[in-house]
Amino acid sequence: MKRTPSRPVVILSGWRTPLARSGGLYARDDAGHMGAAISRETIARAGVDPEEIDEVIVGCVGPPHDQANVGRVIGLRADVPVRVPGRTVARNCASGMEAITSAAEAIEAGRGDLYLVAGVEVMSRFPLIVGDEMTRVFARLNSARSPMQKLAVISSFRPRMLAPRIALMEGLTDPISGLIMGKTAELLAREWSISRDDADRYALESHRRAKIARDSGLLKREVVPYLPLGAKEGAHALEGDDAIRDNQTLEQLGKLKPYFEKPDGRVTVGNSCGITDGACALLVASEDKARALGITPLARIRAWAYAGLDPARMGLGPVYATSKVLDEGGATLDDIGSIEINEAFAAQVLACVKAFDSDTFAREQLGRSSKIGAIDMARLNKNGGAIAVGHPVGCTGARLALTAAHELAKSDRPFALATLCIGGGQGGAMLLERAS
Amino acid sequence: MIDVTGLPMPAGAPAPGTCVRVEQPEPGLVRIVLDPPHRKLPVLDLPLLRDLDVAIEKVERDATAKGLVITGRDARTFAAGADIDAIAALTDPALVERVVAIGQNLFQRIAALSTTREGFVSVAAIGGAAPGGAFELGLACSFIVACDVKETRIGLPETQLGILPGWGGSTRLPRRVGVPLALEVILTGRLFNAREARRKGLVDRTCFPEDLLRVASNIAMKREHLERSSRGMSEWLVDKNPLATAIIASKAREQVLARTRGAYPAPLAAIDIVSHAPRRSIENSLLAEREAVSALAVGPVCKNLIRIFGMSEAAKKLKLLPDGTAAVSPTHVGVLGAGVMGRAIASLSAERGAWTRLFDIAPAALDVALLEHRADVDKSKKRRKIERSEADAAIDHLDVARELSGFAQCGIVVEAVAERLDVKHKVFGDIARQVHDGAILATNTSSLSVDAIAAGLPHPERCAGLHFFNPVKRMPLVEIVRGKQTDARTIATCAAFALALGKTPVVVADQAGFVVNRLLGPYLDEALRLFAGGVDPAKIDHALREFGMPMGPLELLDEVGFDIAQHAAKSLHAAYGERMSPTTVLDALIAQKRLGKKSGQGFYVHTDDKKKQKPRLASDLARFVPADAPRVGPLEEKAIAERTVLAMVAEAARALEDKAVGSARELDLATVFGMGFPPFRGGLLVWADTLGAATIVARLEALAREPDVAARPGGKARFDPPASLRDMARDGGTFHAG
Repeated sequence: MKRTPSRPVVILSGWRTPLARSGGLYARDDAGHMGAAISRETIARAGVDPEEIDEVIVGCVGPPHDQANVGRVIGLRADVPVRVPGRTVARNCASGMEAITSAAEAIEAGRGDLYLVAGVEVMSRFPLIVGDEMTRVFARLNSARSPMQKLAVISSFRPRMLAPRIALMEGLTDPISGLIMGKTAELLAREWSISRDDADRYALESHRRAKIARDSGLLKREVVPYLPLGAKEGAHALEGDDAIRDNQTLEQLGKLKPYFEKPDGRVTVGNSCGITDGACALLVASEDKARALGITPLARIRAWAYAGLDPARMGLGPVYATSKVLDEGGATLDDIGSIEINEAFAAQVLACVKAFDSDTFAREQLGRSSKIGAIDMARLNKNGGAIAVGHPVGCTGARLALTAAHELAKSDRPFALATLCIGGGQGGAMLLERAS
Repeated sequence: MIDVTGLPMPAGAPAPGTCVRVEQPEPGLVRIVLDPPHRKLPVLDLPLLRDLDVAIEKVERDATAKGLVITGRDARTFAAGADIDAIAALTDPALVERVVAIGQNLFQRIAALSTTREGFVSVAAIGGAAPGGAFELGLACSFIVACDVKETRIGLPETQLGILPGWGGSTRLPRRVGVPLALEVILTGRLFNAREARRKGLVDRTCFPEDLLRVASNIAMKREHLERSSRGMSEWLVDKNPLATAIIASKAREQVLARTRGAYPAPLAAIDIVSHAPRRSIENSLLAEREAVSALAVGPVCKNLIRIFGMSEAAKKLKLLPDGTAAVSPTHVGVLGAGVMGRAIASLSAERGAWTRLFDIAPAALDVALLEHRADVDKSKKRRKIERSEADAAIDHLDVARELSGFAQCGIVVEAVAERLDVKHKVFGDIARQVHDGAILATNTSSLSVDAIAAGLPHPERCAGLHFFNPVKRMPLVEIVRGKQTDARTIATCAAFALALGKTPVVVADQAGFVVNRLLGPYLDEALRLFAGGVDPAKIDHALREFGMPMGPLELLDEVGFDIAQHAAKSLHAAYGERMSPTTVLDALIAQKRLGKKSGQGFYVHTDDKKKQKPRLASDLARFVPADAPRVGPLEEKAIAERTVLAMVAEAARALEDKAVGSARELDLATVFGMGFPPFRGGLLVWADTLGAATIVARLEALAREPDVAARPGGKARFDPPASLRDMARDGGTFHAG
């Protein structure tokens, strides 16, 4: 039901780095440095005195092992005063959005007025993990006293124990359903009859739109060129997202083998989001604070919502969350000028589009009397999405909100929507409106 | 009792017995606290030594004393070494010898407590600065404990002041750590932090400041047993082996001579004493120290070096505001323009802990700036000068901007954009609208007027020049240019900023070339005229290196770049008229894009830096000698040096007449730190004073009459002795009083 916030919350401003293919240009950077750099830039460009900041909240799924609370690290390295606390929040793929909504909750509750918020992920730096067996060998070796005991432990070692576990792959597997994310998308593709061709065409369009947005200079409104740590002599700052495939064709996409379900699957690496690194920072404030600072905000946060669903069908999360956010925001799909649905998988986005438009689904799953509505594809992911630019998990939620906020200004309708599916069976959605 | 009659006592010396506290924290332990009331940072001056002597006598008479701790008034304060002012004032070698002997005897008695009394342990508990004499006091104790705090600096910097460690340092350090390391410590004069000092064995243990007294007491009372790490076989193979020490000494001598060309006697004397120390009796080695210091301390080199040290210390006072408080260097710094100068200033500022934002319209320049900065920081990290976290911080402190925005937080914005008034007006105008009211706008211009740049700014009183020298990270001088409207707070804040960057500031007037470039103008031009007149370029450079300059004038031109040098020369000519008439000899080289080091070739051929090859003189220089330039007669090297340097002296006299700089001392400081004028000569005008005004006037007049000088435009004007110099010659005056 419609919910009226006690204190209006706004996004003052925000900036992000270009997103770069994992294992590529940012492979030697780290979350603390990258998050701090974009945060400093955001503070400087807003002309805000860091003394005014009440808290730092950073979304990150896999903080570096030496920066467990990377939110605190980023605050201190971004010139935020020592007395200002910092935390790291996580809600898997929505961690960046979680950072924003955490700030919004705190502002609504009157706990503060100005928050430095960031989403950051350097997926390149997700570690290889020593297996459980090997870990146990080390632990026993540590507690062994006599040389004989030590020898006994050492003799239990087998070379196969050296095989590393890949944190990234394990992180992308849902522990409840046991499905890796790609398989949840395959399930949706089958259930919502999304063909391989539908998925590939959607992917091609995402790249096309992303390329136009990048090459037209449109993204100068939100992207700051970034020269990563580890860049060699003679290197130049990355100007725009580097995972976009400029000359992608349908034929090329069609040739790719299904990655998760062979031989009949529909999900390929070509119609899934890429794995990229990046960071995005925002200043979130109470409307009063924005006025006091004399800054015209990018957008007002009208409402936000998270919703749970079957982990095996997590890709439909945006439908559940959007249903909720529209109710709480007192809006209809028609009021929304631009929609960002995170493109985890083309099949997953297309399944969402169908579910939005299904009366049956609305009745059975959303408790609505009728469907949310038909999504105008021209208004969906206008500048492409994660299939083209990639999905640095902790960063994406913040990036979607930033893009949606900028799209508001261009649209003739009062609202913009940013929503995403969340591994583990959730959806998150944020409804933005033009700030007065 | 120490006899201090006839020795120089510092002003405001307190009553006997007030400089040292003797405490007995527990039975058998004596604690001596250096706490002179007349010094914020205690100095081992005569009043302190006098009281320390009485305190030691007490210990000597106390048969129950089993342990001694000597410490400072707190864990971050010990003592700053010997009294430099007193040394500077002494001109009689016999008096120096007495002062040296006082310290030596006192420290010998401290050493004797532990060597002659069974089981007696003495501990120096050090924190904060402990250079020179303070460290030598520690060396006389059984053990040294140092606080692991960032303020702790331990070493023997005496040779940097033209003397050598004379209170047993040259004797005891080689015995403690061996001859090779002792030579490194004494010849470089480096000050080490507690951890480095521990690693090198200069101290025996480090601890937290809160534990200092407890740990020192435990060691003194043998509750904690410390073992001095033994040099083992190497003591016999190296330190006590005459052949080995002779080889080491000769290598060291070679290195020192290569660096100093024999102009500095102290390091050579130190090598001699240190290399012999382990094989001599302590008494003989101390005698050698005493004799060497008495001779060195009254010599001109020591006086000049101490004088420069004093001037650079005085420069630190520039950050004082009229009310006596110190201005604070801004925490947020903006730099505009990412050229060679701008990016180096920004990088240094970030390394020194200021949040720094560097603007340039050229993205590639910003990329280079970031990469260079990171490479510099990495180098410091690899050399273990800084920890990883400090390296991360240094990298984090530099941000770049392609647009002129985001500078609102900056307390100072330094511009190093193109040398065009309209460009400077544009960027400063934009910046002035962003920054808060107290922010300072500083220009690194070298050829434009600060007043012209300040004109039209909303707060011209907060505009000043901040003239760095290239390469920024290595050149220690910064000229702070006071415009007509520049206020005192701006000057003090600029000085605080320069000091925070590790630079020595000197305040100059808003006149063309300020001071350093104004003096370099005639100097470099004379060198070029000699070249044009047929003098062998190798000879020109050699002559001035022999004079003591770090590089010859033609080498310097290669470093600076011919285009830059020519531009500077032309603006000096425009400002000062005919005496600054520039030679045209560089035109032909510039026309061929031969600009010096940056183009690979100038007077010298510069090969890739990585190959570490020394630049060699180009073989085709003869074709750049103009046929129509007046020939210069055959010249001795000494005459070459004199002609070029005297051209500077004449200009320096004019600069003082014009009040381009406040005093001869500051002008000298600028010459030593800004152009590398040989420190052992004390600065340009100290050198001039040793020659005497009458001699200088005579030589200038003679030079003005030289056929090649008289024949060229402005030659006569350049060497025409300025009025102040003529007055000085007439009255027997000097540039420096006394």
